[in-house]
This record gives sequence, C-alpha cells and structure tokens, in this order.
Amino acid sequence: MTCDTIPVAYNALGVSMEQQLVSFLQRVMPDADSVRVSGFAPIPGGFSRETFRFDAVVVRDGAEETLAFILRKNPPDVVALLQTSREVEHQLIEAVRAHTTIPVSRSYGAEMDTNVFGEAAMLIERMHGSGQTSNLFNEGPDAHQADDVMRHLCEVLVELHTTDLAKLNVGGQLSDPRGVGIDTTSWDAYMDSTFEYYISSYPSIAYDPAAMVLLDASLTLRRNKPRPLPLVLVHGDFNPANFLYQDGRVTALIDWENSRVGDPREDLGWMVAMDNMSNTSVMAHPTDEGGFLAYYNKLTGWNITPEELGYFIMFGTMNIAVPVTDAVRRRAAKENEVFLNLYLIQPSISTLIAFTQLLGYPGAPA
Amino acid sequence: MNTNPGMDGMIEGVIVGITNELIPFLSNEKAVATAMMMQSILQGVRQTLPVYDSYLVLEHNDMTATLRTAAAALDGVAGDEAARVRERGATLGALADLPAPPDSTAVARAYNELGRALEANISDLDVIQRAGGADAAAADKALAAVRGHLAPRYLRDFSTFTLAGGFIGRS
Repeated sequence: MTCDTIPVAYNALGVSMEQQLVSFLQRVMPDADSVRVSGFAPIPGGFSRETFRFDAVVVRDGAEETLAFILRKNPPDVVALLQTSREVEHQLIEAVRAHTTIPVSRSYGAEMDTNVFGEAAMLIERMHGSGQTSNLFNEGPDAHQADDVMRHLCEVLVELHTTDLAKLNVGGQLSDPRGVGIDTTSWDAYMDSTFEYYISSYPSIAYDPAAMVLLDASLTLRRNKPRPLPLVLVHGDFNPANFLYQDGRVTALIDWENSRVGDPREDLGWMVAMDNMSNTSVMAHPTDEGGFLAYYNKLTGWNITPEELGYFIMFGTMNIAVPVTDAVRRRAAKENEVFLNLYLIQPSISTLIAFTQLLGYPGAPA
Repeated sequence: MNTNPGMDGMIEGVIVGITNELIPFLSNEKAVATAMMMQSILQGVRQTLPVYDSYLVLEHNDMTATLRTAAAALDGVAGDEAARVRERGATLGALADLPAPPDSTAVARAYNELGRALEANISDLDVIQRAGGADAAAADKALAAVRGHLAPRYLRDFSTFTLAGGFIGRS
C-alpha cells in the first residue's frame, strides 16, 4: 500500500489523510493486492458536511483499476448544521442501491472513530455527471436538458416514495434519526409528534423575535392538518443542488444525511422552497407534463393539490429550519465563529416572506 | 429587523470571517493586505454607526450656530462677500435645531421586548383558537392583527437586506 501525493493533513496520531484512506480502502476491499491514493483535494460547497475528492488505483489479481471517491466527513460538532450519523447514511445508501434503481453513489463504509479522519466520515463513490445544476435553468448552457433531467428526477423521487419502507428503514434508524421523539407508528402520530418537535424547539432556537413567523407557521400547521398519505422514506434535502446529471438523465441523487420516515409531500414542499431560494425552476419541469407536481401526481395517483403543497412547503421547511435556526442562534450567542451560520440570516429572509404568503398575512405579496 | 445579531454583530461577524475563513487561504500578500484593509474599513464603520446620527445632529446644530456667529462678527463690514456671509447666517443659520436621536441601544432593547410580546401573543392566541367556539373567532381576528403588523416588516427586511441571486454557495 502506497501513497503518491504529498500529505495535506494529519490525524491526531500523526498519520496522513492519504495513509488513512489507503488503510480504510484496504479494510473494505480485502481482495485488493495494493491501493494507491492520489489527488486528495477539498470540494467546494456542501454546507453540512466537509467533502473531499480523491482517486484510488486498486490492483486485484494483477489488474489495475482506478476508482473515484468522495470522503464525506462531519464538521466538528460545534459548527454542524445537522447532527447526523455517517453510519446510518451509509446503511441507507446501500439499502437504496439494493432495493431500488435510484441512481446513487455506492457507499464503501463509514468510519465512526474520530481518531482516523478527525471526525466521523464515510467513503462513497464519486459519480459521473455535472453537479452544476444551475446550468439547467435561466437559459444556462444545459437548459435544453432541463425537461428530460427533471422528468427523470421526478421518476427517481417517485420510486423512492413508493419503495417499501421496511426495506429502506434499516433497523428503524430513520424513524426518529434526530432522537427528538418522532412517532412513526401512524401518519397522525407522525404529524402530531413532529408538530410537538417544531413548537417545543422554538423558544430555545429563536435567536431573535423576528423569526416569529416560524412559530406562527408551526402552530397554524397543527391547527390545520391535511389528509393523510402513506408514510414513506423521504430524501429530506430534496433540492435543486442535490443531484448530478448527464445527457438528460439524473446520474446520482446525493446528500442523504437528512433522510427519514416522513410524508412524501415534505420532499416536494422543500423543493419548492429551495427552488425559490436558489433562483431555479425544477418545479416548472417537465413542461410537457405540466410541471413536476403534475407529473408526480400522474405517476403516483396521489393528486396532491397546490394547497397541500403550500402546507408542506412550510412543514418540510420547518424540518430544516429548526436545526438551521439553532445554528444561527449558536453563532449569534458567539458559541462559535463560523461565518456560514451568520450568512444564513440573509437568504433565510426569503423563506420568512414565503411563509407570510402561505399563511395569508394581510398585505403579504401574492 | 433583527436586533440579535444587530447590524454591529453582522459587521463584526464579517470581520471575524475574513480573519478565520479567508485570510488563511490567501497566498498573495497583496490580497492579504487588501483583506485587512477591508477589515479596517468595516471596523471603522462599526465604530461610526453608533454615533453617526447623533454626531450629524450635533454638528448640524453647531453649524447653524457657527453661521450665525460668523455673520454677527461681520456686523458693519461692507462688500458683497460680507453680505453673503450675513445672508447665510440669516437663512441657513436660522434653521431650527434638530432633536437628539434616541439612544439606539435603548431602542433596540425596547424593540426586542415588544417583539417577544407579540411572539407570546401568537402562542396564547393558538390556545384560544384550538379551544374553538366564539372565542376562537376573536382570536382569529387578533392573530390577523399581529400578522398585519408583521407582513410589511418582513417585506422591509426583504427589500433592504437581501440580494438577488439566491443562496450563495449552492450550485
């Protein structure tokens, strides 16, 4: 086992990152005769995890193969937006690969010993395809692919939402992954326990009363529960930046760390929210099907209405808003100095405006 | 508007962010110097903001007095120049003094306290709404009043503090 790049980082034991990667790969690929690692470099973007790319030349039975990898690593707890488990994410990805045709990166395993990579981490296959999804919109260079990519993205989401939950919720770990008392024994129990989570979290996370529309939204959602749908495995961060594409197809649905049992409308609602915030138009495609929701309804038969979608824009957004608002609170209280947690205040304002619209505030923009 | 963090906290956060998350990754000395100049300007703005309005008022009122004093000093002096100085003393120098602006820290504290009160109202109104009956309709009306206050606030925040282009850093 060798390492052919200059070490860029060392763990607490003084072992280089590359050497640790070689050891990890050797462990998960015991049939390899040798492993060489090169090109280790950080990948910009990715708000919740630190990601790095590298290649590994693996020799088995005299045959040499170059594999592309991503090391997905937790940030230190104090700055993490979401406290999630890489081991659970690894098991989910492998369950998705085993039981669906959803394009997803193979996960080679999780390393929960923080002495190895500095924080808990997982190793996944680096998939082909472009992650510059903004190129699909606003007359970008790949705008001609938008309809086909979004058609496939919708089909991928439908497959996720219609796959037997028991096959994906390995060991029940995705029923309440944050450990906040979510009850998934029925749709009603799920909704009620989630309302309780949102509402009881508010006093401790609201760094400023300017966030009070989040409280109003949580209470209003509880007073106006919609019709039930089957609980499914939701991606949990289904947004315009979390897929790769090539030649009109989705090549990978990525970033599964917030996946959990939930209502399928949560993924749609969060996509609408992030579509607005990201200046993209996923929901407008495929145009020949009347847009993403119409095509989703055609495939599922669930006939989700725009009103229900509005409800779940707020419900799905609250799932992310709780930890994000808490991160801003910790930054405002100077528990850390992470700039991102301060910056989040600015783009979040558009979410607050969207909530005033959805709640029908007098004078809110239509 | 956010009062926690307020504008000072936001600017301070940018200064800290430049130190911790930008400068260590700059390899060009000129770029490092430029980043530090930016911090210097931002720190200057931080120091100026709390006193900016009060200094403007103080100096406004002092300038009107100075225009009057200068005009009075030229009493009996002939010529166009002296006439213009007296004219300025009689016009601009006659402007009324401006009132001292309120203490921004005290305003922010009171603003925050009122915001927390509205927040508590939302929670209490929810209890009445959930109980149903005639009182629920009254609570609906009260909540509509709170919402009517909040909508233009959020719109003002949006128009003054956000930029086009969405969420920076997400592709």
